[in-house]
Amino acid sequence: MRLPRFFGKKRGHRRTGSQAWGSLGEGAFHAVVFCAGLVFGGLLISGVAVPEWRINHDFLPTVCRVVGTGLVRRTVEDPPGAFTATWRPSLRVRYAADGVDRETWSQSRPATGVSDRSVAVDRLSAWPIGTEVTGWYDPADPDTVVLERGYNWWMWLLALLLPGALLALGGSGLVRAIRRWGRSEEALARATPAPGLLASPRGHAPGHPGVPPCDDLVNSPGTVLRYRLPIESPDNWTLMGLGLFAVLWNAVLVVLAINAGFDLAWGRIDWLLLALIVPFLVVGVIGVVHFMRGLFLATAVGTTQLEVSDHPLLPGGRYEVLLAQGGAGVLRDLELTLELEEQATFRQGTDARTERLVVWSSPVATRQNVQLDPGSRYELRTSLTVPADAMHSFMSEHNAVRWRLAVRGTPARWPAFVRVFPVVVFPDSSRSLHREQTR
Amino acid sequence: MSHGSETARQQPRVDVHFDRSHRGYEPGDTVVVRYQVHELDPAHVRGIEQSLAWYTEGKGEEDLGVHFFSRLGERQARETVATGGHFSAPLPPSPLSYEGVIVKIRWCVRVRLFFPGGRDFVSEHEFDVGRIPAARMTSRASA
Repeated sequence: MRLPRFFGKKRGHRRTGSQAWGSLGEGAFHAVVFCAGLVFGGLLISGVAVPEWRINHDFLPTVCRVVGTGLVRRTVEDPPGAFTATWRPSLRVRYAADGVDRETWSQSRPATGVSDRSVAVDRLSAWPIGTEVTGWYDPADPDTVVLERGYNWWMWLLALLLPGALLALGGSGLVRAIRRWGRSEEALARATPAPGLLASPRGHAPGHPGVPPCDDLVNSPGTVLRYRLPIESPDNWTLMGLGLFAVLWNAVLVVLAINAGFDLAWGRIDWLLLALIVPFLVVGVIGVVHFMRGLFLATAVGTTQLEVSDHPLLPGGRYEVLLAQGGAGVLRDLELTLELEEQATFRQGTDARTERLVVWSSPVATRQNVQLDPGSRYELRTSLTVPADAMHSFMSEHNAVRWRLAVRGTPARWPAFVRVFPVVVFPDSSRSLHREQTR
Repeated sequence: MSHGSETARQQPRVDVHFDRSHRGYEPGDTVVVRYQVHELDPAHVRGIEQSLAWYTEGKGEEDLGVHFFSRLGERQARETVATGGHFSAPLPPSPLSYEGVIVKIRWCVRVRLFFPGGRDFVSEHEFDVGRIPAARMTSRASA
């Protein structure tokens, strides 16, 4: 038997074989996960679910007389070197089963244990010696008797969820590996176009494979021109993330501070807790300051709106553009550029990284010393021409070629800002069709 | 001697001929491809897949889009290895071939031969769709 090769040339003439190993490895991994789900599920079902089910369905009722009481101690070493004990009440009962009088310690759930021994002792007082209680014994082993029934629902949930997740993950991966086995990458790509990281959920524009749809860019009418373009604002997401971090961090800080406050109120000083609070406080304050500064800068400049006379754009096409800038104060520079950006997503270790690079940029309009009036927006009406030999917009699972209009401004008193408005350029199919007709 | 070890010694060669010598097409054009498989005993072929596809190259993970695909069974594949194969397909309006800086889009014809034991051999031949000039970083763009 000859094993498949690990590597092959990437392009040109080549033998391939690594796919077989890839499918085999993927299949083996998912088979292990699937088997782990089976074993884990089996253990939980046989160890928890089945005994509990039998108690509630198979065990027979009887009358038990309490003849003795005691505590069951369970000691656990966690972490190593540190021992913790839990106490569980247990009753010695006398009862009749299969016509024979029996005496044994009753079984109870481990979950009923408590860490405080005195609490467990108090619970025992509910069953004085000589009282009669209802019990249920195992017909298969009459010496086993329980004094309470019912279901431990969280354990059932655990028994279903964890092994279920493993079975679903492993099973689906196994089916996928089996379906991929022995099939070429072309056959797979033809059968199941992969949903992309970058690709839009709606795929591509109708009749234009690889070209992103522009439905979301043409659903907002402009005030002067036909369409108002949506803004792409990665800075806003960064600001939102910073705000979320500040809120969560300071919530933890508040909890620690309340604990420290209670300690002080009881006359105790937990120096370790106080030492922990100081760096937490510093980081919390820095987080809030950064968030407030970002929020102030984002709102201080005023909104930017961009409108175009038509969309999608076509190579060689000329379009009217309206740039509207709100706010107050003076902008030393205000510039509108048409840009082409390439975007590539790749794996680096276990991380997925995305690199963006503007490979072409052309100024559409530039103004200096723009005076912004708080009562009305500043408007700049101009036109742009898409180069006749321009590449069309492209988007696939890990790669994209994106066109965009970028507005850059430099306020007199604040840091410079950039606001990006994506546009879609379609391939010039009309020119190709014309060439076909004249051929 | 088994088929597998015979196939292991053989290194097939696939010559592909496009209907345009410069291999330049426009969207909507029909690509006509003829190919010959050399240095391979037809008895050792289990199947052939012929496809017209685009793929990305560059910094990102490779994406593949298959525009035309057909698979020939064992009997047809043996005939094709013996006498040559051909196929044709009209090109879609997009994507166009693109030579970017970190993203490149290439069109190709692939002929994949399958042998006993699940092993295969693929021959890839590029061609251009459209006439988009290569992207060149300008100082302004890179700034």
